[in-house]
Amino acid sequence: MDLASVRDDLAALREQALAAIAAAVDLNGLEAVELSVLGRKQGQLTAVLRGIGALPAADRPTVGALANELRLELEAALAARRERLSGIALDVRLAAERLDASLPGRPLRRGSLHPIAETAREIARVFGQFGFVVYEGPEVETDRLNFEALNIPADHPARDLWDTFYVDVPATAGDRLVLRTHTSPGQIRVMEQTRPPIRALLPGRCYRHEAVDASHGFEFFQVEGLMVDEGTTLADLRGLLDEFAHAMFGAGRATRFRPGYYPFTEPSVAFDIGCVVCDGVGCPACGRSGWMTILGAGMVHPVVLRNGGIDPERFQGFAFGMGVDRIAMLRHGIHDLRSFLENDLRFLEQF
Amino acid sequence: MFVPLSWLREFVDVDLTPDQLAARLTLLGMEVRGLTRRGEDWRDVVVGELLEVGPHPSADRLSLTRVRVDDAGTTLSIVCGATNIAVGQRVPVALPGAVLPGDRSIERTTKMGVVSEGMLCSGDELGLTSDADGILILPAGSAVGRPLVALYGDTVLDVDVKPNRGDALSILGLAREIAAATGTPLRPPAISVPESGDTTAEHLSIRVEDAALCSRFVGRWIDGVTIGPSPLDVQLRLSAAGQRPVSNVVDASNYVMLELGKPVHTFDGAAVSGGAIDVRLARSGERLETLDHVLRELTPETLLIADDRGPLALAGVMGGASSEVGEGTTTVVVESAIFDPLSIRRTATRYALRSEASLRFEKGLDHAVALTAADRTAQLVAAWAGGRVARGVVDSAPTDPPARRVIFRPASVDRLLGLPIPVDEQRALLARVGVATEAAADGATVPVADGLDVPTRPADGALVAVVPGHRRDITIEADIVEEIARIRGYETIPAALPSTGMPGYRPDPRRAVDAMRDLLAGQGLAEVVTHGLVAGDDHERLGIAADDPATIRITNPVARDHVQLRRSLLPGLLRVVADNEHQRRADVAIFEVGSVHRMTDDGPVETGVLGIVLAGDWLPGAWDQVARPAEMADAVGIAAWLADRLGIGRLERLATEPWPSVEHPGRVAALRAVAADIVLGRAGELDPRLTAMADVRAERVAFVMLELEAIAAAMPAARMVTPIPRSQAVERDLAVVVDERRSAGEVETVIREAAGAMLADVVLFDRYRGAPLGADEISLAYRLRLQADANLTEDSVDTVLAEVVAALVARCGARLRA
Repeated sequence: MDLASVRDDLAALREQALAAIAAAVDLNGLEAVELSVLGRKQGQLTAVLRGIGALPAADRPTVGALANELRLELEAALAARRERLSGIALDVRLAAERLDASLPGRPLRRGSLHPIAETAREIARVFGQFGFVVYEGPEVETDRLNFEALNIPADHPARDLWDTFYVDVPATAGDRLVLRTHTSPGQIRVMEQTRPPIRALLPGRCYRHEAVDASHGFEFFQVEGLMVDEGTTLADLRGLLDEFAHAMFGAGRATRFRPGYYPFTEPSVAFDIGCVVCDGVGCPACGRSGWMTILGAGMVHPVVLRNGGIDPERFQGFAFGMGVDRIAMLRHGIHDLRSFLENDLRFLEQF
Repeated sequence: MFVPLSWLREFVDVDLTPDQLAARLTLLGMEVRGLTRRGEDWRDVVVGELLEVGPHPSADRLSLTRVRVDDAGTTLSIVCGATNIAVGQRVPVALPGAVLPGDRSIERTTKMGVVSEGMLCSGDELGLTSDADGILILPAGSAVGRPLVALYGDTVLDVDVKPNRGDALSILGLAREIAAATGTPLRPPAISVPESGDTTAEHLSIRVEDAALCSRFVGRWIDGVTIGPSPLDVQLRLSAAGQRPVSNVVDASNYVMLELGKPVHTFDGAAVSGGAIDVRLARSGERLETLDHVLRELTPETLLIADDRGPLALAGVMGGASSEVGEGTTTVVVESAIFDPLSIRRTATRYALRSEASLRFEKGLDHAVALTAADRTAQLVAAWAGGRVARGVVDSAPTDPPARRVIFRPASVDRLLGLPIPVDEQRALLARVGVATEAAADGATVPVADGLDVPTRPADGALVAVVPGHRRDITIEADIVEEIARIRGYETIPAALPSTGMPGYRPDPRRAVDAMRDLLAGQGLAEVVTHGLVAGDDHERLGIAADDPATIRITNPVARDHVQLRRSLLPGLLRVVADNEHQRRADVAIFEVGSVHRMTDDGPVETGVLGIVLAGDWLPGAWDQVARPAEMADAVGIAAWLADRLGIGRLERLATEPWPSVEHPGRVAALRAVAADIVLGRAGELDPRLTAMADVRAERVAFVMLELEAIAAAMPAARMVTPIPRSQAVERDLAVVVDERRSAGEVETVIREAAGAMLADVVLFDRYRGAPLGADEISLAYRLRLQADANLTEDSVDTVLAEVVAALVARCGARLRA
């Protein structure tokens, strides 16, 4: 062995190895090439290096340097080829994974919130901005709170405004139980448990002894509002209701304040908004008047304040009550009240 | 109340279109619910004169007429089936091409071989009266050829008069409102009674047993009357106002009731024994056949009009058959009384006889109108039925009580309305509704509320409002304020925003409920709202007997399926499932938040409940995914997730006694919030027998029932954070074999206790039964995640695991799975 022949061998090895690397078509083939050239046991370059001991001592560093140089070159070639081949393999895999772009996604369950409950929450949100806090009262209510304390004595003609369900529970201390016909008894309950300033909101389910049709049901939902303080006026009520109407039915919605009648308010108010169907022009939905009544209200009757333990000479306030069903119907274009309790998913899933 | 505009115009000049008038009344608080234009749907209907009435050549029951339909002498040949026609009469004629109500077109036709050039109309065909048998015979002087709409067209307003305004439940009352609002003078009807001969007192005497029940009784006597129909325009007017014409005398009393708002009754004078009328309560055992020919047993609280032979009428509610004014009547007793509103309301309710009359008595009446109405009735009877009106009246209380004086402080108007109105303007507004004002005397008291009178101070400048007798609704200061605002117009009240004190913070009682609603909807459940009232059957299916003492029942139900307050949300939820399955939905997942009710020794108890029901596919199917139906584990999973999201933390599932025939006997768990140690409710599956009875098709129905109060109690006000350890966690799997009756919950508890503080989490990841395990054995595989402040060493992990295994062996009879 002499230096020249080693040089030749390395040159040949280089040629052959580079050709083999270039010829490898996959990562396995490339690994085989790597083993045959650089492998610890059978690698051809390894064999060359092993033979260095047979060379004259003076040539050994030269050959070592040459072999090392070749090793680095081949390693670089291998790495480059490996990268190239991996890229191709990934391209192949990705190409095989191609999906029809128009396929639908996996469905999630739909889920929905009932329009009655959502409307009640929306109402509470609006009045909540004005400091109104939520209270709750029972569905089975005493005659005293449902009627008497609200200035509706027994056998009063005004009782005709509320057709009442009675329950088979014996009266206690002459106080018969009824299913509340409105959320108004909550006014007394709030006054009995807190002192002015009062800003209270009372949502709840109510019952009336009525035949069912598209706009009446024997079960329905109301939200009652009560505000009591020194100097609370009808003008405050009007401002607040205007804000409410604009929040629920659009900033440009016309509103109207007119006399109403409730035994528990004086003065009493009926509050109208411009018809949501015809915007006030007049259509069958609003009885051609251009207006739709959305709630009743008024200044709390002094008798009611007194029944709630509040001095009507010092404090005054207003109350309002609205049908959540009606607000929801007007807001969402629902024509039949019965939709709410039918719970057809085709209806519910629109909310 | 139905108000023909033509009638209203007798008492007030209305310079407004019907729509404007309706809007005006509505803004006064007399809401107009609708407008009907009578005659709007008549086209080419004119007055005709019958020139000939002869037999139809080929039909016995028909007549052939010749009718003149204009001044030029145009005649038409018309076939007619009615028998009340005669030559010379004026009748409504629908010309060929005419249109009648209901879009009914009238054309030239051939009837039984004879050409008929139009039609003679009945009152019913025109929508004028309810008489469909005879042709409407018009007054003799009616101008031939005049369009009928020009004579009888009218607009009828449907006015919603509120219960406190009985005074406005009349044409005159509403005219008074319009006069006040528009500043036009009111023209009350001109009442003059053509009296002659002897006096009423010679024929009639009145004895009122209790003036508290009958504060006034005015009687009149008319003899020599001839009963017959009222004039046509009266009949039409009554029909338009919703009152069926009967006869001239009866129509007179109904006319007065509508016109003045004062119910009046007429008796056949011959039926009043000795002319002596008693107003008294019924005696036990008395009976009366009322006008509707029902023989009624009278209860002792019933106020009667009677004579010495017995009851004649239910006072203020309904007359008696024996004294009814009918064809043979020649003398008439007019009763115009004022009864106690409460007594009338109770009687009308007791006998289920609420009428237009009782409705007005209930609301209370002006003392003075009793006399006015008696006079007006006598005047109309004399005009329409002839006869002689005896001179004077008999009157049990001729003196009108003094006008009510309501003292008010002008400043209260601004105080309540937030709108300053000068005192002079206040007085002027009140004057428009007939309320006079004067300065109040020193020391006068203001009626603030019934039973609360507040002394005035000189600085108040208090005024007295002198209220006319018909305004029984004005009794306190706030009523005066309302009246001022009403007449001025509520539209003039400004809109302000409250600038007064704010209430203190109050936690929203719906916080937890709203959070749960959002979470469940986010998980794909649909919120439902079902009836609070359910059927007795619904409860019986839950094993709650029909007479269960804890069920609260409605004593006056309106629908058979809604008679009891629900004890559970399940009946309503199952109905929703069945209804939607009927609409081919096989993936019903719903929830409801609502109250259930039960009766206890301490009274009714209302409990807020969250109910979830899953029926059918829970995991939705897709093109590469098979749908999977819901079962107990899904329900439990939802409950656990919900508890976690609400900050309640881990739920423990406890074996519990199933609710027989409601819950699946082998698939139900009680859910306990571990941190708060509160049982929140239950989850599992329903007994298929129950779901089948509810017509639910799904094979399995999974459910969750949680009590809202328990949830609120278990929810922390705020979540407290545990710092994230910086050390590495170690996971180890552990599979043990236990007896299959051993609960996984118990095994998990033992693992938690034995592993102690180092255990961060434990998850059951596999459950296996079958070979090579024994027949009664089950393998439970857990993944334990261990964590400590410092990184764990192999030794310490092994030690803990050994302790866990030892505890499982000792307490659960477990062995490690090979």
